[in-house]
Amino acid sequence: MANPSYTVASDNETTADEKVSSPFPDLAIGIDIGTSQCSVAFWNGSRVELLRNTRNQQHMRSYVTFKDEIPASGVSNQLSQEHEMLSGAAIFNMKRLIGRVDTDPIVHASKNLPFLVQTLDIGVRPFIAALVGNVWRSTTPEEALAIFLVELRAMAEIQLKRPIRNVILTVPAAFSRFQLTRIERVCAMAGLHVLRLMPEPTAVALLYAQQQQQNVHDNMGRGNEKTALIFNMGAGYCDVAVTATAGGISQIKALAGITLGGEDLLSNTLLHLLPESRNFFCSGHGIHEIHIMGILRMATQDAINRLSFQNSVQIDIDLGNGVKICKVLERKEFEWVNLKVFEKCENLIKQCLHDAKVYVEDVNDVILVGGCSYIPRIRSLVTGICKRQEVYPGINPLEAAVCGAALEGAVASGISDPFGNLDLLTIQATPLGIGIRTEGDIFVPIILKGATIPARRELTFTTVHDNQTEALILVYEGEGRKVGKTHLIGHFKLIGIPSANKGVPEINICMDIDVSNVLRVLAGIKMPDVQWPVCPLMEVRMPTVDDGHGWCEEALNRTYGSKLDLVTLQKKTHM
Amino acid sequence: MPSRNRAGSLLAHEDTTENQSPNSNRRNMSLVSAHQLRFLCQPRKRHLHSHDTRFIRRKGNEGIMCSSNGGRREMERFRGERSNRRYYELLGVSAGSSLQEIKEAYRKLQKKHHPDIAGQKGHEYCLMLNEAYKVLMKEDLPNDHGSVRMPFGMQGSKPSFYSSWNGPLRSQALFVDENACIGCRECVYHARNTFVMDEDLGSARVKLQYGDDLQKLEVSVELCPVNCIHWVDLEELEILEFLAQPQPKDGYGVFGGGWERPPDVFSAAKSLIKELRHETAANNAHANPKEETPAQAQARQQESVEIKMESFSAIWKLLQVFGLKLGDTK
Repeated sequence: MANPSYTVASDNETTADEKVSSPFPDLAIGIDIGTSQCSVAFWNGSRVELLRNTRNQQHMRSYVTFKDEIPASGVSNQLSQEHEMLSGAAIFNMKRLIGRVDTDPIVHASKNLPFLVQTLDIGVRPFIAALVGNVWRSTTPEEALAIFLVELRAMAEIQLKRPIRNVILTVPAAFSRFQLTRIERVCAMAGLHVLRLMPEPTAVALLYAQQQQQNVHDNMGRGNEKTALIFNMGAGYCDVAVTATAGGISQIKALAGITLGGEDLLSNTLLHLLPESRNFFCSGHGIHEIHIMGILRMATQDAINRLSFQNSVQIDIDLGNGVKICKVLERKEFEWVNLKVFEKCENLIKQCLHDAKVYVEDVNDVILVGGCSYIPRIRSLVTGICKRQEVYPGINPLEAAVCGAALEGAVASGISDPFGNLDLLTIQATPLGIGIRTEGDIFVPIILKGATIPARRELTFTTVHDNQTEALILVYEGEGRKVGKTHLIGHFKLIGIPSANKGVPEINICMDIDVSNVLRVLAGIKMPDVQWPVCPLMEVRMPTVDDGHGWCEEALNRTYGSKLDLVTLQKKTHM
Repeated sequence: MPSRNRAGSLLAHEDTTENQSPNSNRRNMSLVSAHQLRFLCQPRKRHLHSHDTRFIRRKGNEGIMCSSNGGRREMERFRGERSNRRYYELLGVSAGSSLQEIKEAYRKLQKKHHPDIAGQKGHEYCLMLNEAYKVLMKEDLPNDHGSVRMPFGMQGSKPSFYSSWNGPLRSQALFVDENACIGCRECVYHARNTFVMDEDLGSARVKLQYGDDLQKLEVSVELCPVNCIHWVDLEELEILEFLAQPQPKDGYGVFGGGWERPPDVFSAAKSLIKELRHETAANNAHANPKEETPAQAQARQQESVEIKMESFSAIWKLLQVFGLKLGDTK
């Protein structure tokens, strides 16, 4: 027998932590773990301040080196980074790999990285390993990120002279709920408690809201509502948000994101420069191949960086064995090679504007952030869509997200500022719809895309077969009419439906997202003539799927088919 | 009063949350679930439904109706009439508030009750705020800010503030400026089918246009001691009658509140007409891009190409047929 209270307690990784941390209201710091760079910021009582590492850097490279017994990360050591990247001992791009199965195209694209990424193409987690000495030592993206976060935490604790517990993390809007739980688990491994996971553009939106609020204070005027479009493109992910800002409140009108970033630009360019690099590691992951790949990556990265400021760049790479690449790469050529990437960005922005029901004419400010915002084509593309000459100047593209996270940390920790600098609030929206599968593989969203968080909505379903006493509730996240295009994030079985003709029992499914983005699904069974539910309700905290979730869906289909399906009860559909 | 009940239950929600020890998050979580249980267990919607319809019907007689404007979709309007009232109350705005006012009220309440600020106990309240906001902002389309919601689309429900017509529509209609009316009842005596006395407000009003013959109407207009009965154009009439309804006033604690209508109905009507015209013009200008998603646009384009091709092939077939016939005759 499934018992609701048991179900709820089963997968709560963070609840226990919350309980411990709430009595002492310490200030949460903001952390932005990027695919390539990472930074930490906190509210110092009057403004947001970025932490510097021992090398006086505000932006630390996100990578972890497995060299000796103790792994080291980009937080502390930096000098030997180039060398280590070539030796295969460094793991990076963890954020692109986290929570993905080995059938994912992103994982396949990552096989060209100068460390070991092995796939079996069956829907389990990929095998990732770093070369230590002459041994491939296995690790996971979670572990690597946790090692990185431990060092970040140690650094922050030394500088702030207090234990760090609560953090606000920025995440890409494209992360699925499963990936978000992986990030939470990473933080738990590092001894950190996640107060909020903020989609990166919404953190930027909060910073923008604060700046607008300050402008209003300075001008002694009454603040009008301002609409801003935020485009964030980093090394791994690309997100867009439309926010309406007034009086320090940033209300997210739409949020969208895809897995697309500088990493894609880099691999496209790399393929263009050396077409045979696609199958580079087919022959084996030798030290020599890793070395070459490392050199190629660094040279290409450098070329792309320089193309942001000059029209053409001379590339000279000596790969050893008499193989040399000497080429002049034009900016036009670079843009042509990456045409598809830019097209996807364009579509994402248009889609987001459409979802927000905002016309480009009504957008007051266009904010460009992330490492890729320096690329001229990206700038012209965004300004082109928004029909304006300039982008919003007051925001540092590399620091915006982490500053926003630090602000949210201060607000959510209950800190107030006498000058009203923390008189802020962010009202978030769901980037994807969440619903269940019904008869015929139809995806019925219960919480709609773009719903304001906290959100709750319920729908009533009914049985498909006569005398059906059980129902399988499969919770999916995504868009589209069929479940094929969506992600499975959880499943549970509803038992104890009284036998009756099909269409008679009323199965009420309620979804609730709280402000820390925790999704709970409640299910109850009601008979038409009875006022009370016939058996205890089920409350399930999502997601319930684990690493093998690629298999899960297939297995469920194979075992149950449509035997336990539900269908929407049309006449009882409430808003 | 049903409305009081709603507000009461809302407070009850809040009270229960506050009574529980707020320092344990685990406890709060189970509390949330307790709330949810209640949400699910009670046949809440149906219960609400019966309440609200009764409520609206009664209120309808007083003419304080509010709904989404212009009968956008039947379904939506039906639902809107049923529960909008409750949402306005929750946000603490008057029924005819502009979108801007609703937005500001929503944000003000969010600042107080959002779980980021108020902690976990703000969750339930915030859910209700979000729902109210979503429903009331249904018409949150671009260039719609600051427009007044007009209950024009709902003559069907016949609130008594609007006059009905006897016989065919004419270009001129009678309108009583109720601000000026002193309640002398002269007009009601002389044309009892046309005018009616509103005993609550102490002023006369037109119930039925041209309910009596023209001569009687002329006499009653003449007899009015303060000349508050006016012949107005048909198109103005609706707006004047809308504006003449007393609207609830914002209250500040124990001060203010109550009901009011614009002091000068005629000038208010003029500015409102102007605003409406401006708005429709703006809406028309934007009508097309609003309705189409990029995908739809593409689909439409394809469709039109296909249609063109179709007509082309039809002509082609026709030609072929003719060609054959010509061949036959030869």
